[in-house]
Amino acid sequence: MFNIELAGVVITVNNRYPAVEKLCREYITHETASSAFTVEVSDEQIDREQSVGDFSRGYCESVCIYREIVKKIPKYGVFFLHASVVEADGVSYAFMAKSGTGKSTHTSLWLKHFGERARIINGDKPLLRFVDGQLYVYGTPWCGKEGYQINTSSPLKALCFLERGEKNSIRRLNDNEIVNRLFHQVIMPENASDMEDFLKLLDRTVKEVPMWLLTCTISDEAVVTAYEAMSKETQK
Amino acid sequence: MKIKEGFILRSVGSENVVVAVGEQSRKFNGMIRLNNTGKFLWELLKEDRTEEFLADELVANYDIDREQATADVKRFAERLKEAEVLA
Repeated sequence: MFNIELAGVVITVNNRYPAVEKLCREYITHETASSAFTVEVSDEQIDREQSVGDFSRGYCESVCIYREIVKKIPKYGVFFLHASVVEADGVSYAFMAKSGTGKSTHTSLWLKHFGERARIINGDKPLLRFVDGQLYVYGTPWCGKEGYQINTSSPLKALCFLERGEKNSIRRLNDNEIVNRLFHQVIMPENASDMEDFLKLLDRTVKEVPMWLLTCTISDEAVVTAYEAMSKETQK
Repeated sequence: MKIKEGFILRSVGSENVVVAVGEQSRKFNGMIRLNNTGKFLWELLKEDRTEEFLADELVANYDIDREQATADVKRFAERLKEAEVLA
């Protein structure tokens, strides 16, 4: 059992296998008094996770642990998005896409384009939280196969859905276009009151944060197209 | 017919979404989107209602004729039944 701090929330993890503690090592905190909630998963949950693919029980436990965290954390004003988040000049942009579209490929191109001005806050599974009217993204130990994650926070300027195309173009999405796309990138709580908190956070995000659709090739021009549009516009 | 326990309708931005909570969330994974007419009918279906009653309410509150209202209600009810939302 150990405590981690994610997006400012202290969580107790009651683990069975050492893999999850190793994964979380940079996020471990010793402020035991302030733990918001405890997560643990059963052998049955690990069995079910393992039936999906040939992974170790420790790895499967860590996946289940994060899912439990994500379902409970909206109560503390924090929510999860399946996204690759890149920061450029101190401001972050979250890219979301159907799996296999290449959101990690796209954010890696930002690193190439901006060099030391850019970094990936989390490559796959970040947490988000509003602080004083601004949405921030937070690093987590869970981050996708490339292992890009930094234990930090960064103001999130825009959310962007990504599709592959022949040419590079970007446009704003309206609420009608956003909702289906956004619900594909979340994990919903089961408990009624957690669900209420979660939907309030999504509602606020849709109302306050600009959302875009980038149609792109794998190119430097794709980065320029995305950055030029998203970094300039500030109004929702 | 009426909406089963465990479904909630909320707005996300300008959109109406229905999600499942508690026990229902084990069976129903995902969400249903409703337009404003759908939202209107959903609110009525918190009580046990007949298709006829719903069609009457549509005619009374929206600018549509009885025939259209009956067809709209039928389609809406079918959709909810398919999603196993109605009791």
